[in-house]
Amino acid sequence: MKLREQAQNLGIRIGTIQVVAFLLLAVLGVRLYYLQIVRGDYFQERAENQRIRLIPIPAPRGAIFDRNGNILVDSRPTFNVVISKEPLKTIDTAERIPQYSRGLSLEPQVVTERLNAINKQTDFETLILKDNASMQDIAWVEAHSLEYPELRVELQPQRFYPHGTYMAHILGYVGEISPKQLESERWTGLRPGDIIGKGGLEEYYDEFLRGRPGYRKVIVDSRGRIQSEIEVVPPQAGQDLITTLDLDLQMAAERQIENSASKRGTILAMDPRNGEMLVMASQPSFDPNVFVQGSKTREGRKQIAEYWQDEERPLYNRAIQGRYPPGSTWKIPMSVGGFQSGAMTDTSNAFACGGGILIGSKFTKCMGSHGAPTLIPAIARSCNGYYYRLGLKMEIEGIIDMIETFEYDRKTGIDLPNEKIGQTPKSWRPIVEKREGRWPDIRTVYASIGQDTVVVTPISLIRTISAVGNFGRMYVPHFLKEFRPIAATEHFEERPGFGFQKPEPKIIEMTAGQQKMIAQGMADAVTGGTARVVNIPGFDVAAKTGTAQDGDPKAGRKDHAWIVTFAPAFSPEISVIGLIENVGFGGTHAGPAVKGVYEAYLAKKNPQPAEPTEVAKR
Amino acid sequence: MVAILERRSLRDFDWLTSVLAIAIACFGIWQIHNAVPTASYWTKQIIGLGIATFAFLVVAFTDYRRIIEAAPIFYGFGLLLLFLVLTPLGVEVNGQKAWLWLPVVGQFQPSEFAKIPTVLMLAKYFGDRKPVPLKFKELLIGGAILAGPVGLIMLEPDAGQAITYFPLLAAVLFLSAIKVRYIVATLLAAAILIPTSYYVGVQSGVIKQYQRQRIEAIINPEAVDPRGFGYHTIQSMITVGKGGLAGIQGDTETSQSVLKFLPEPQTDFIFAVTAEHTGFIGCVSLLLAYALLLSRLIAGAREANDRAGMLVIMSIAAGLAFQIFMNIGMTLGILPVIGVPLPLMSAGLSAMLATFIAIGFVVSIKMRRFVN
Repeated sequence: MKLREQAQNLGIRIGTIQVVAFLLLAVLGVRLYYLQIVRGDYFQERAENQRIRLIPIPAPRGAIFDRNGNILVDSRPTFNVVISKEPLKTIDTAERIPQYSRGLSLEPQVVTERLNAINKQTDFETLILKDNASMQDIAWVEAHSLEYPELRVELQPQRFYPHGTYMAHILGYVGEISPKQLESERWTGLRPGDIIGKGGLEEYYDEFLRGRPGYRKVIVDSRGRIQSEIEVVPPQAGQDLITTLDLDLQMAAERQIENSASKRGTILAMDPRNGEMLVMASQPSFDPNVFVQGSKTREGRKQIAEYWQDEERPLYNRAIQGRYPPGSTWKIPMSVGGFQSGAMTDTSNAFACGGGILIGSKFTKCMGSHGAPTLIPAIARSCNGYYYRLGLKMEIEGIIDMIETFEYDRKTGIDLPNEKIGQTPKSWRPIVEKREGRWPDIRTVYASIGQDTVVVTPISLIRTISAVGNFGRMYVPHFLKEFRPIAATEHFEERPGFGFQKPEPKIIEMTAGQQKMIAQGMADAVTGGTARVVNIPGFDVAAKTGTAQDGDPKAGRKDHAWIVTFAPAFSPEISVIGLIENVGFGGTHAGPAVKGVYEAYLAKKNPQPAEPTEVAKR
Repeated sequence: MVAILERRSLRDFDWLTSVLAIAIACFGIWQIHNAVPTASYWTKQIIGLGIATFAFLVVAFTDYRRIIEAAPIFYGFGLLLLFLVLTPLGVEVNGQKAWLWLPVVGQFQPSEFAKIPTVLMLAKYFGDRKPVPLKFKELLIGGAILAGPVGLIMLEPDAGQAITYFPLLAAVLFLSAIKVRYIVATLLAAAILIPTSYYVGVQSGVIKQYQRQRIEAIINPEAVDPRGFGYHTIQSMITVGKGGLAGIQGDTETSQSVLKFLPEPQTDFIFAVTAEHTGFIGCVSLLLAYALLLSRLIAGAREANDRAGMLVIMSIAAGLAFQIFMNIGMTLGILPVIGVPLPLMSAGLSAMLATFIAIGFVVSIKMRRFVN
């Protein structure tokens, strides 16, 4: 110390400063030890998490074909504008709402929904802001890549339904998974924005049609811009679905309903020998493409709202959700029930027509005067009086046994979602007995001819008719012919092919003679009874018509027209049923519709040169 | 005579301090390159180091006593430059007018350079006084000398730079026989008043929400607002922690600074870059280098020939130590985010030049310790 100022303790004071400085450096050293040595691994992981991002590569969804390999649904390329979460973290997303809305012509409400949805996601995932982007949208995103680094254009295959409104109820459509579905067990593992099947086969077989998405693992900077790619896992496509549908027959059926008086109704066709559905047409219908493309545009949302509000209910599949009184078509299962209950036998099956029946003080009429017919003419001429007396003899218990035999009290098990169950005396009986004290005979009389307490779905009715035609072997109706297998890849397991899982029929007890009598009655109805309209020379169609009251007869609505058929009458290979709503008598209105399907069937079965017909016309 | 002086000068020249300072600066240039390999910051810094070394030698071989004599002129000149920053000659960057553009000289940061005249002015005033306990009047004059530059810097506004001036005065007062009871009283008052005023400020709304978040971000950066004020602190801590024991060793492509997660990597957060690239080993080596440099300076102060020289060295040493602690403390998440450069490491010609000039004074003073 050169300055001799001991009085001031200068040396000690300088030393104090030195010690303080070293202490501060020591504090920094300790903190460094904590951050780098103690928690080094933790921070290393955090650094990795924020720079690595998984960009999903959507998997192509399996296509859907008819039984002959015609495409019913496939995918075509479209562009999506997607949004990343990470760059949004440091900005006020509220400002973006009007900007996106203007630039991409989106409803502000839609943008808000999207931005809210992305907040619920983990950091490095993306969400579709706008799908089916136009060239203008793509140009806008590219031009604003500096201002909005969170936006990106991605190619994505979009579901396309080439036949529009036809088969829409069978096929369903696809759309983004809803928040509620995300929480359900069926869709665990999916993320907001994922596309799933909604309605129809798309929903029923979603797990198989849906592919497994791949991803790109990339390094991004703090603004989410991709710097380099670490890994690519290609997606695995979904399985192709071969349905049992026959596109030609389906189109014939669709045209028949379109040409009917009310343009409302349903036509079903199936192979009675195995339950394969050949046709399921239900009109009015909707265009699934509107749901796929339009749910985010003003026009699309308006169209979808109209579908929901339309009084003719285009979104509702009449074939499996419609419940109609079967009318006289009910006489077919009633005939089987008559034999099974012992109310009639192979040799003793005549009942009086009587022009009707008197129950208490009320006389319920038959449409004609048929004497005392046996079963065959009773079916052919559709004698109500006959069935009033058969029903009364079976008693309501016998009718309920028949309902259970044909499983009207449960779903048929068809491979479509949201199938409805009909209502029958079985379901009504407790209610009626509670309300009226007993089950009155008049209700048994009405139930015998498919009115009053009987409403059934068309799908359950075709199942019955097919079983009766097919010698009592009742199959579960279905659309799945085959799911094609997908080979294993480096990252995904093999997806094996498979067919419909319930191939075994239920056996309906009846003798060969009884079955033949019912088929004969139905064949006679075509050749000389109520169903002459479906008479096709050289092809024995067996048929039964029906006319079902729609609500209270005084309301003035016309009856629903029914026809149920199978052919050939004694070795059926196809069954067809038709229902046209609010048009009048069954044979007159539903008959021609079903005949149109048969003509298409025969044209395919026996292809004939077109020339002779042309010549004949000239 | 001249030749003798020269020979003696060379013999007494503090080689270790000089080499240490240049070595730290070279280490810094490497880290600036690591921070943003594609930008030209590191090449500019090499040029800056060249200029700074020249200025360092000029100051080192100049008799510091003559410069201290002229301290009021330098001090006045420093205030003039700080004033010019506030005129249209000042250049605004990020809402702060901290830069001055002058013809020929170019753009520079006067608040860095003004520290030197401030130190000299303090040393001149307090170096002449008798070794008796500090009077209240002297305290006020010391405060006034500091108030000039600090006031002008606060107008820029650049709170970070302004704070770095306080240790300059604190060291001078401490070494000018300020009574220990004043120091104890000041520390006690700070311990009571700072939390109290913070509480009152928050309650009364004088302290704004964003200021409060900045402070609370230190206590728990994740909880406050990881996207806002906590973001810089969190990213800095991630960068430091990621370095581990030995650093990422050349994996620059995925570094925090290259991917732009770490803000201002070449300036305020250069220590985080160092930590990421060289790990605990590199960081501790750097801290030891700083400790060695500081002890060389303080040793020089003990040997100083006069009171003014001792005060210059201690004031500079205190300023450096304070700035090192502020900057690294911020990087390690124990101090709020305040833009203070790390001496000898952060990119920036003004800071580099000012630091080397300051060390030049120290060397000059040490060199003349045997001369009268």
